[in-house]
Amino acid sequence: EELSVVGSWSSLPLHKQFETPFWTKTLPDASGGEISVQMTTHDQMGIKGGDVYRMLGDGVFDIGMTVADYAVGDAPELEGLDVPLVATTPAEAKAMVEAARPMVEDIFKDRFNAKVLAIAPYPPQVVFCKGDIASLDDLAGKKIRGSGRMTTKFLEALGAEGVNVAFSEVPGALERGVIDCAVTGSGSGYSAGWWEVSDTLMTLPLGGWDPVVTAVNMDRWDSLSDDTKAMITAKVAAEFEAPAWATATGSLEMDVACLTGNGECSMGKPASMKLVAPNDADTAKARKILTETVLPEWAERAGTDWAKRWNESVGKTVGVQIPLS
Amino acid sequence: MITQTLAALRRINHVLAVATGVVLLVTAGFVILDITLRQFALSFGGSDEISGYVMAGLASWGLSYALTELAHVRIDLIRLQLRQGGRALMDLFAMTVMAGTVTLIAMKSWPVLEKTLTRGSRANTPLETPLWIPQAVWFSGWVWFAVSSCILVLLAAILLFRRDFAGVDRMIGTVSEADLEAGK
Amino acid sequence: MIWSVAFSLLGLLSLSIPVGIVLFLLGFGIDQFYSPFPLMRGLGQVVWSASNSSTLIAIPFFVLLGEILVRGGIAERTYASLDKWFSWLPGGLIHANIGTATMFSATSGSSVATAATVATVAMPQAEKLGYDPKLFSGAIAAGGTLGILIPPSINLIVYGFLTETSIPRLFLAGLIPGLLMALVFMLVTAVLCTLRPSLGGVSRSFSWGERFASLIQLLPIMLLFVAVIGSIYAGWATPTESAAVGVAIALVIAAANRGVSLEMMRDSLLGTVRITAMIMLVITGAYFLNFTLASAGLGRDLQDLLTGLNLSPFGTLLVVIGLYIVLGFFIETLSLMVATIPIVVPIMAGLGFDKVWFGILMIVLVEMALITPPVGLNLYVVQGARKSGKFSDVMLGTIPFVAVMLAMVAMLVLVPELALYLPDHF
Ligand code: NA
Ligand code: NA
Repeated sequence: EELSVVGSWSSLPLHKQFETPFWTKTLPDASGGEISVQMTTHDQMGIKGGDVYRMLGDGVFDIGMTVADYAVGDAPELEGLDVPLVATTPAEAKAMVEAARPMVEDIFKDRFNAKVLAIAPYPPQVVFCKGDIASLDDLAGKKIRGSGRMTTKFLEALGAEGVNVAFSEVPGALERGVIDCAVTGSGSGYSAGWWEVSDTLMTLPLGGWDPVVTAVNMDRWDSLSDDTKAMITAKVAAEFEAPAWATATGSLEMDVACLTGNGECSMGKPASMKLVAPNDADTAKARKILTETVLPEWAERAGTDWAKRWNESVGKTVGVQIPLS
Repeated sequence: MITQTLAALRRINHVLAVATGVVLLVTAGFVILDITLRQFALSFGGSDEISGYVMAGLASWGLSYALTELAHVRIDLIRLQLRQGGRALMDLFAMTVMAGTVTLIAMKSWPVLEKTLTRGSRANTPLETPLWIPQAVWFSGWVWFAVSSCILVLLAAILLFRRDFAGVDRMIGTVSEADLEAGK
Repeated sequence: MIWSVAFSLLGLLSLSIPVGIVLFLLGFGIDQFYSPFPLMRGLGQVVWSASNSSTLIAIPFFVLLGEILVRGGIAERTYASLDKWFSWLPGGLIHANIGTATMFSATSGSSVATAATVATVAMPQAEKLGYDPKLFSGAIAAGGTLGILIPPSINLIVYGFLTETSIPRLFLAGLIPGLLMALVFMLVTAVLCTLRPSLGGVSRSFSWGERFASLIQLLPIMLLFVAVIGSIYAGWATPTESAAVGVAIALVIAAANRGVSLEMMRDSLLGTVRITAMIMLVITGAYFLNFTLASAGLGRDLQDLLTGLNLSPFGTLLVVIGLYIVLGFFIETLSLMVATIPIVVPIMAGLGFDKVWFGILMIVLVEMALITPPVGLNLYVVQGARKSGKFSDVMLGTIPFVAVMLAMVAMLVLVPELALYLPDHF
């Protein structure tokens, strides 16, 4: 069997450390030569992240992976997979994603004619700010570079302004005061030198966790033998999904150590940013905004049925309920 | 009859091109307004998103104008070695291949709009633009390009059948030739 | 795969099928013969995504800017002034072509728009004054490529976006190599025309008084440069938005010159739509071809080639340069960059090459691709602006300038500071 696989961003660690070895080596080896894989990424093909699942559903390729948030244009109910600020640690994020998994599976089946194989995280999204920021309240009135529709809506509700700036322009924009804060993965922020132009690091997951969904075209999946299906499912869970989550936990600690100079940093010169960890007041405030504004708006976009389902699964896990009239 | 049809086609494309150009100019104004308002922290945002839609519209609705203006790039190294009749035959062949390809593209573009319509897809942005609007504009531009190409093939085939080679050249030849024979 | 694609490309092009359509046809062919997957189902989505782009809108903005400069009389006066300064050199007006292209490059981020602007103003002069059409039009095609090396630059924006490199730093890095290349273009022209005077036209001399008096004609273009580049560095506009700023300022200048009328605006817009549509058909075709090539394993082949040779960093660099020269013959430049950057740049950065420096090196190679047949957009643009004559004239005329670009590549490798001095010190 030859499988064509389209990976997520080719420059990021998730692709280099986990996707590529798993699909081009681990799986073909485990199949004893039964399965061969052709792998590329959506950025190399010149297609947008939001097109990956559309094309996957059409059977243009067999297996595709991209950030779930990119596809919410076609499936607003998918926003429920990555609600910002309800999960503050990697362990909580994992529990949130696991609770959402049955919903995600149904969404992919109905919207994209696809079966979900794995949901893996990008490194946690953190906030780099210029100046002294001590709490969520201090973000009001600031210009913030964020990503994802729900994050932008959250910032609006908080009284902050979402600004669209390309990743490579963030240091310049922070320096010139075009923006006050920017959200990105902790590791990317360290290696791109954002700490040179900002003072405060908030490990508040304002940008959510950017889970990357790996899915396979349903017709292609049905054409595989039961043994092959079982083998792929088991291998993906054990040798792709699990190590990707394990690394996310470890890498956040290391990144924070490198960015603040507190703890051991093996990636290079440690910086000395001021760390603002999530506190109870912030969490309470975030939940208030979410339940009063952001999530009810989402319930309107996605429909009450999805909101109900979210309340019963993800909502129960993270302790947030969308008020439904 | 053929001359009138061609003239009408050119006139329609001319009007369409002016309209497309005006939209582009308005977009430039919109971008500048956005930049200016940003200085006073009043930005309404989304100008880059709208620019993208305008680009898609321009890149589809301009195609037909470029076609009747003979502006689409063709390599005429071999073509120029041929006599008038050979050239006309080659032009008709190239034009037929083009019309076929463009018709195929237009047909394959429909599923994009269709999916957007059935899913009610909206842009993944704070504006939440209903995507059927820009995609309908973009799709219809390709359809019009396909229709124009097919009309030209038909007209040129009739002219070729009548052995009016100069007519074929004016209709679907290359610009430098057309100008040379106009006596410039 | 690469060879059969190359031969089919040549074959289809020689049948005089429009270039953009040929690229689509090649994509269909790759889908048919080299890909086990039904790529055709992705055709519509690729065409939509390729054109729904807020980055590409900089192209029509820059083309419109050029049209306004031409029809508002500004381009003509710039050209006339540079004629007074440079026409005493062997090669005469050809130097004014290069000089004008350099100046417009500083206001336009598109090589195609720059070449179109200069060709529109300069081409009528060639016929009037009896220049050899080869070198004359070759200088415009090659000079126009400076549009993407001298800031602003759409291609550097795309590079910065894909490699997460700062675009203002890239812009600074392109300045010295761009100006240096313009100088060497002039030097080579002077040498060629001294050896074979028939290549150039009459050398004309103007008094210093005339020269200095004409300097005022360069003010508008300087003003535009300051507005476009200044708006980026002041943090007002993104590099893409600066193109719209350019359009507005050009309109104001043309109006101040009483060069704006309803008719002039209509013609400018018509010209912009025509040129943009022509470019976009090629670009969307190139995106689709790239999509099929990537799906059929071009990326993997490239990666295997680069990592499998086990070369030293310098050896790898040479292979990469060779690769861009060869691919540049056949692949349109923006899609060439989109297709290769995700594969090549991480490898080069891993080997210790600076990403800003490599970006400038790549732009020079891409400039070469713009004037090498069979797929060289600037060649077509210049040919399109001529009223008569053979396409091969333009092609042959660019050969000396291709040689300069190769020398520039070598210079950048030997003296990386050419690119890195400004971004490292400012
Ligand atoms: Na430029
Ligand atoms: Na080329």
